[in-house]
Amino acid sequence: MKKRITALCLVSAMAVTMLAGCGGDTAKQGSSEAEGTGEEIVINYPTFQCGVNTAAPVVDQLISEFNEQYAGKYRIEKEEVPGDQNYIDKIKVQLGTGDLPPVVYGGGYNLLDLALAKDVVVDLTDAVNSDPEWKELYTDAAMTTNSRDGKIYASSSEGNLVGYFYNKELFAKAGLSGPATTWDEFWDQCDKLKAAGITPLALDTADSAWVTSLWMGALVAAEGDDAVAFLKQMTPDDYNNPAMIKAAGEVQKMLQEYTTKDAIGGKYEHAANNFLSEQAAMIANGPWMMSDFSDETKAAPGFADKVGVAIYPGSFVYDAPIQGYFVTKQDDPALEEAAIEMVKFFTSEHAQQVALEVQGMVPASSKVEITEKAKEAYPLLAEFLDLAATAKVRTDNLQATMYPNLLDVVSQELPRLASGEITPEQYCQILTENAQKN
Amino acid sequence: MKTKKVWIPIFLAPAVILFLLIYAVPLVMVFVTSLCEYRLSSDHMQFIGLQNYITLFHDANFRQALANTVIWILIHCTVHVGLGVFIALILYKKPRGWKFVRTAYMVPSIISNAAMATIFVNIFNPQFGVVNSILTKLGLENLTHNWLMETSTAFPSVTMIWTLFAGYTTTLVLAEALTVNESVIEAARVDGASNFQIDVLIMLPLLRKIIGTTMVMAATYMLQMFDLIYITTNGGPGRATTNLPLLLYGTFMSENNYGYANTIGVMIIVLGTIAMVIINKTLKVGQEDY
Amino acid sequence: MNRTWGQLTNRGRLLMILKYIFLALCVIVALFPIVWVVMSSFKTNAEILTDGISLPTSFKFTGYEQAIAISPILKYFVNSVIISSVATVANVLFLAMAAYVFARCQFRGKNILFWLLSLSMVVPMTALLNPVYLVINNLGLTDTKTGLILVYTALNLPMSLLILRSTFLSIPRSLEEAAYVDGAGFVRTFFQIMLPCAKGGLASAAVLAFLNNWNEFTFALILTSGQDARTLPLSLSYFTSQFSFNYTAMFAAITIAVIPSIVIFALFQEQVVSSLTAGAVKE
Repeated sequence: MKKRITALCLVSAMAVTMLAGCGGDTAKQGSSEAEGTGEEIVINYPTFQCGVNTAAPVVDQLISEFNEQYAGKYRIEKEEVPGDQNYIDKIKVQLGTGDLPPVVYGGGYNLLDLALAKDVVVDLTDAVNSDPEWKELYTDAAMTTNSRDGKIYASSSEGNLVGYFYNKELFAKAGLSGPATTWDEFWDQCDKLKAAGITPLALDTADSAWVTSLWMGALVAAEGDDAVAFLKQMTPDDYNNPAMIKAAGEVQKMLQEYTTKDAIGGKYEHAANNFLSEQAAMIANGPWMMSDFSDETKAAPGFADKVGVAIYPGSFVYDAPIQGYFVTKQDDPALEEAAIEMVKFFTSEHAQQVALEVQGMVPASSKVEITEKAKEAYPLLAEFLDLAATAKVRTDNLQATMYPNLLDVVSQELPRLASGEITPEQYCQILTENAQKN
Repeated sequence: MKTKKVWIPIFLAPAVILFLLIYAVPLVMVFVTSLCEYRLSSDHMQFIGLQNYITLFHDANFRQALANTVIWILIHCTVHVGLGVFIALILYKKPRGWKFVRTAYMVPSIISNAAMATIFVNIFNPQFGVVNSILTKLGLENLTHNWLMETSTAFPSVTMIWTLFAGYTTTLVLAEALTVNESVIEAARVDGASNFQIDVLIMLPLLRKIIGTTMVMAATYMLQMFDLIYITTNGGPGRATTNLPLLLYGTFMSENNYGYANTIGVMIIVLGTIAMVIINKTLKVGQEDY
Repeated sequence: MNRTWGQLTNRGRLLMILKYIFLALCVIVALFPIVWVVMSSFKTNAEILTDGISLPTSFKFTGYEQAIAISPILKYFVNSVIISSVATVANVLFLAMAAYVFARCQFRGKNILFWLLSLSMVVPMTALLNPVYLVINNLGLTDTKTGLILVYTALNLPMSLLILRSTFLSIPRSLEEAAYVDGAGFVRTFFQIMLPCAKGGLASAAVLAFLNNWNEFTFALILTSGQDARTLPLSLSYFTSQFSFNYTAMFAAITIAVIPSIVIFALFQEQVVSSLTAGAVKE
């Protein structure tokens, strides 16, 4: 019997050491750190803006500046969650279990409304109103995006100013002098490009079809005031309107006649590559793409000089601040305060300027000056900002306003729209049905 | 054997504790919430009886996902496992280079699914993918397709991604086949049995249990199959390649409808149980040889 | 066992040729993905996206340099080795114990318990997310290797249970009966007689569990936040974000993740098979 007990002890001891052995140190480290630093408050900040994300250097710079400025008082601990979708998934699990980090970046994923439904968001109204400098940075549009029921819950740092890029050289080959100002002219240009053996458009359908959706929204916007009002509506649950159906029909034509073979099922990367490798003459996308034009692993040297920028036909440009950072309710009021301080810092004029200069990101606030340094780094950006200023119609993009579950539906149905298996009417009906599941 | 009795609970304890920690609560939650209206956006669950189930059976998306899942399970349990067993039956006779084949055939299973999916997106790419390139070179240009994105070809194309790579099955069956005493086979050979007869009449019955185990694994693998589809077709075009886990994920993660999602979860559990019972009964997996 | 070429009939020769053609095809199909990955790790992003099957134009290691610079892949690699190995050993040991009892002993509720444990095989991943997060959080194991080890040990529970029960069932009872007659107890019989006999099944279960652990992504993402417990699959996310990508570095990272496991697998299987053929037990 003794032997057996010894054996059992051995087995269980083995198991315990195996399970406990490796984790022990880390756990200890964590607690001693919290005690040792005394009054310094640590803000754990998970972010997807790391790795190849173009905002990674901006976030790094802001964190180190913040930690320097608030040394001894607050400190941000960056926690890398690479991959946008991974970040959303993780935040959703934490939302479900009530364990959110102090600062969440809503990005283009509308996390704010989910968090508000759970009543875990800190009301920033007083903090913003008591600080004129902060308040001044809120444009009307930013106020709408970041407020609910008259209360401010979030703060934006990035604008979402999106037009499209075109390849001047390919345009010249087809005898075109510049971007179209009306949609009729636009279709005419597509035909001319095609006749010259050039694929007019770089499009995608996978991963929620970002590029293609931009064209679709621009086509909707051309259909008059009702259509623009529809684009401004948050989470619409009816897509059966004439403007949407007409736009879906036109996108069908784009996918069938004016794009590359691999657009159907292609991801953003494929669309981007088709434009960067001069396989297609136009791509709809935001200014953050500009740094790719001179990246020699992605485009041939000298490509950047061939790229022109435009706003959409009908004097339209996407213009809406991206939903910003929000603070979540914490047990420790001091931590909440620290988090508010961090949000203020991350959306300050200085922060927006850093993003502009480092990343070419359009600031959320019109108060932010476009510095010479930024113009020099991104000459195309300066040109684009001037163009955008002339636009007469501006709204948010389709993806930002749709229910998140529609993003997958778009990827599933666009290939069928392209093959003619479903009609534009059916496409809009499917979107409507899925929107109503929410 | 009184002492033996004492050891039973002790030997079972670790496995049961692991089960209780990780699986017990989710299992109960799946069943309970499937009877509730329960969303991420609201904190309370409301009991609604079988309403979710009624909705589910009227849901065309569910019916398609169910059909796809069942077809995939059948293909996986027969073609995939059959291929794995066939290769194992060739390899256990140790033909020249068998060790190399064994290791090489396992390699695709070592690569993560996310990577495999990316690879196959490229293989099936309509513009430069291997499949279309080969067809074009053979002068069969009219047979080229946008394989993953046309409703008629998406399902078979996705199926190809996992059907050919039966490394797990081969490894398991081969390990078992190698323990078979060579004298059994030699005796049969002396009696004039051909290779084919030895494989079918002696080896297959001896390997019955492990084949049954690999079938159960194949069936449940298909009931958990997610990332290979998610990355290649995202369930499209339309719902042509949506299976139950994909439908569940969408309902859970993007529609945030936990109650309904878990109703789909219950269906997955039921389907899994049915598959296991059928396989166990047919192959008598749980019985001893001697 | 193999007859030589000369001894074969024409039909036998034809079959043999067909057999080797078939095996060659299997090898080609099986190795294609990894060859493609390694090749792509030497191509530029434009080359990968423009022509997926072309050969790289130059053999530069920039992809590997970038992979290491962009993501903490080497640290993750070490974490992966520790977490996957410990979880595999724990899993196979615990489940061998349980599987042995299920295969050999009779007790009340045995079938129900076995069915319950097998059921964990079909519990949807999404249903596990929130409860497992809470359990690990309450145990204070968030962001520790221990937390992940615990979860991984459990995740492979049903698969190892099935494989190992099947293995124990096919070992003749006469072996342990002899041991009992010699006066060996339950535990000693298990560790000294049964486990060595079950080497084949143990190795298979271990290989499969290890590979699952090595490639697991979701829980690694949800349960870790710092860099001390993160595993390799997470590093791959560093290379694609919504509007930027670096495929070269990503495929380099996949190569870094895969090649060692192939080598380990090859060596491990060599060991196992030599021990297996030495002690064939089936009659």
